[in-house]
Amino acid sequence: MNKLGRGHRDKVQQFMTITGASEKVALQALKASDWHLDGAFDVFYSQPHPKTFTDTRHLEELYNRYKDPYADMIMADGISTLCNDLQVDPQDIVMLVVSWHMKAATMCEFSKQEFVGGLQSLGIDSLEKFRERIPFMRSELKDDQKFKEIYNFAFGWAKEKGQKSLALDTAIGMWQLLFEEKEWPLVDHWCQFLQARHNKAISRDTWSQLLEFARSVEPTLANYDAEGAWPYLIDEFVEYLIENGIIVK
Amino acid sequence: MSSQKKRNFQIEAFKHRVVVDPKYADKTWKILEHAIHEIYNHNASGLSFEELYRNAYNMVLHKFGEKLYSGLVSTMTQHLKAIALSVDASQGPLFLEELNRKWMEHNKALQMIRDILMYMDRTFIPSTHKTPVHELGLNLWRDNIIHSPNIQTRLKDTLLEIVQKERGGEVINKGLMRNIVKMLMDLGPAVYQNDFEKPFLDVSANFYRGESQQFIECCDCGDYLKKAEKRLNEEIERVSHYLDAKSEVKITNVVEKEMIESQMTRLVHMENSGLVNMIVDDKYDDLSRMYNLFRRVPTGLMLIRDVMTSHIRETGKQLVTDPEKLKDPVDFVQRLLDEKDKHDKIINLAFNNDKTFQNALNSSFEYFINLNPRSPEFISLFVDDKLRKGLKGVSEEDVEIVLDKVMMLFRYLQEKDVFEKYYKQHLAKRLLSGKSVSEDAERSLILKLKTECGYQFTSKLEGMFTDMKTSQDTMQGFYEAMGPALTDGPTLTVHVLTTGSWPTQSTTTCNLPPEILTVCDKFRTYYLGTHNGRRLTWQTNMGSADIKATFARGQKHELNVSTYQMCVLMLFNNADRLNYKEIEQAVEIPAVELKRCLQSLACAKGKNVLRKEPMSKDIGEDDEFYFNEKFSSKFYKVKIGTVVAQKESEPEKQETRQRVEEDRKPQIEAAIVRIMKARRVLDHNNIVAEVTKQLQSRFLPNPVVIKKRIESLIEREFLERDREDRKLYRYLA
Repeated sequence: MNKLGRGHRDKVQQFMTITGASEKVALQALKASDWHLDGAFDVFYSQPHPKTFTDTRHLEELYNRYKDPYADMIMADGISTLCNDLQVDPQDIVMLVVSWHMKAATMCEFSKQEFVGGLQSLGIDSLEKFRERIPFMRSELKDDQKFKEIYNFAFGWAKEKGQKSLALDTAIGMWQLLFEEKEWPLVDHWCQFLQARHNKAISRDTWSQLLEFARSVEPTLANYDAEGAWPYLIDEFVEYLIENGIIVK
Repeated sequence: MSSQKKRNFQIEAFKHRVVVDPKYADKTWKILEHAIHEIYNHNASGLSFEELYRNAYNMVLHKFGEKLYSGLVSTMTQHLKAIALSVDASQGPLFLEELNRKWMEHNKALQMIRDILMYMDRTFIPSTHKTPVHELGLNLWRDNIIHSPNIQTRLKDTLLEIVQKERGGEVINKGLMRNIVKMLMDLGPAVYQNDFEKPFLDVSANFYRGESQQFIECCDCGDYLKKAEKRLNEEIERVSHYLDAKSEVKITNVVEKEMIESQMTRLVHMENSGLVNMIVDDKYDDLSRMYNLFRRVPTGLMLIRDVMTSHIRETGKQLVTDPEKLKDPVDFVQRLLDEKDKHDKIINLAFNNDKTFQNALNSSFEYFINLNPRSPEFISLFVDDKLRKGLKGVSEEDVEIVLDKVMMLFRYLQEKDVFEKYYKQHLAKRLLSGKSVSEDAERSLILKLKTECGYQFTSKLEGMFTDMKTSQDTMQGFYEAMGPALTDGPTLTVHVLTTGSWPTQSTTTCNLPPEILTVCDKFRTYYLGTHNGRRLTWQTNMGSADIKATFARGQKHELNVSTYQMCVLMLFNNADRLNYKEIEQAVEIPAVELKRCLQSLACAKGKNVLRKEPMSKDIGEDDEFYFNEKFSSKFYKVKIGTVVAQKESEPEKQETRQRVEEDRKPQIEAAIVRIMKARRVLDHNNIVAEVTKQLQSRFLPNPVVIKKRIESLIEREFLERDREDRKLYRYLA
């Protein structure tokens, strides 16, 4: 550690704090990623590493703190409290990432299994560790592959239990949230279009295809292929953009 | 006496002392030369064939063949040169005659000479590969006469001049021409072609080029074609009279190119007389002439076909989009059939039943019939009209003819499923009102539809017929069972319709008069008694009734009315005056229907059994209705009911169209599933193409609808998108 320059030392420190790994591991990961923190995280988390010890007793305590008085689940109130403790806004997108790690089935509730299991996989057993982990979880949204997984996860998570499709209002809310992170210039037009012309729930196929569309087709629609087997809703959206002069072809 | 010596006495063979006298050859040749001169001078009679032959024979035998041959050449050449001068000296028309005469003489001379020199011809000439005598004679004639500069040009010019005179209408000496031309042919194909045929074709081309320009300026299309045909026939005749048969195709090509090919576009499009006008005016002769002339030219028929096609498409398009012509559907369809007949006749009489023209006609009809989305409905109405009254009293064969024509139109339809829907509706009305002209005709048409479209198309239609038959039996059973109990009620006839087979109608509320209700309930009890587990619903919007009404001066009339109308009229048994609201309350028929019903009872001329105040045409909520005591009619039976198939109103049309679209969705989905099950993995464009192909016999699916169905199937987890390639779909077992 003493042989390292100041910047590097800081990075090692940061890494250890965030991942809870040892100095040796931290050095390894950072060297492997050429002293880029993000890369180092990738390296670290993609390797099968010995499970960081989490104290199950602590986890129980944490769970009980947030659990609903009448059901064996954490419900809206509990989540509110949790967010408070984490100093995070309940609407903050990082909660989505948390839910994704927990493989939560539905928004606004965590089962005991989901909560405990999720935290264990993250190597968190205390609020402090949880708080420290928040920046990392935010950074995961920057990763293309992870973002896609989180995005697709969000559909099942946000929709009503037992429904096949996602209610339009919820979908719009989610899109606005998600595309704040991963910018897509057409997101507002898309939401307006849906409210004006569609007014029905969103299917899973449309949801997942929209991300593809946002990623592969330019905002000017220069490379939009009408024969590209896009869901009809997206075709209609393109027509809407052209009709209203938003895009000129 | 001295002693005798024996001497051998030898008899020697007689040796003919042949004196190989050099002068001998000369002498012999001189004899022959003299003979040739005499032959050419027409003095052959004084010659001895045998002697001359022998002389020639000897010369060849004694190896003087060469001398003989070259002597022949020079002698003949000498004579021919003289002949050339003589021919050239002749003036004007005598030129050809002289040439001809000299040619014939030469041929005779040549024959004689050849006979004399036969031995040389057979022995010396082959072994030395020299030209045989006859051929030599021809070659020398060619080189010295025909190709002598003056004669060559003069001959060509004279021949062409004569041809031109004939073209101008003058009479010429065909025999002479034939002989001269034959002479050229005998001299070899090269001579004929170079000295006559090529210049002939060139001059003819120029001539016809000029003529075509001239004619096209002053003639209309029909006249021009007549002239062109005439010229063509003339040339063919000319060839048969005095030219080589091989020239026919060459000269006809010239005429075709200059008179037809170069002008055909202009002819076809000529105003007031071109192809379109001929078609419109049914000018079979002109059209036939055009067809026969144009087919000689590479793109001629294609031109006719293309112009005809765009004309038919244009007129067809106008026909189907003209609101005037669309007012009466039956009339509209009749026009379509007339158009088809007209053009069929043209193709038959003038275009030689050419299959490519038939195809062009069919594709044009298919194009414009489908431009009007109401075509399926109108064709069904046409059929309805025929089957209700149009075919009354028509013979069986003629019925078949009409039905076959209907089938032909049906085949052109793209949206056959729309036709099916309307056909079903109209058939239902025909069956229920008993208005079908002939059940055989109905069945015949259904059979034709089945053959064309398969069993599914017609199974429901056949179900309707079955229901009618079954209902008859049911009624019989009903009356037998209930007989005495029914004598004082109204006579009820029930048709029991199986829901799936008949066109769907939404049931409406309607309060039947008590007398009717009673007998209806009796029937219900009877029916449900024999048929367990079924549910009966009265279709009050499809029924009819015959009521006897008595008017002011005791006049009685029998009124044939719809069920709704009956319900309204029966109210007037207990009241002379009722207002709209009272009627509505009593019968509980939905407003739109009720208003239409009241209109037909109170506002129709000659059928106004009710009187309305105010006398306006529309039904207002405050209107009052009175039984019209003063109603009169010539007929005892008055028909007021409206259960006849008619052109749909705008809202009805929308509704039907919607139902058709709804019906198409499962069909499209079934096709997608069928295809994916077989292929397992397929990309989007191919799915659309396959689905379209599978369904084209019923309708043309919209690619956007197909896409929506695919997405629906994805949601229901029949299909999924491929993870790598988003354009690929996978079948989920």
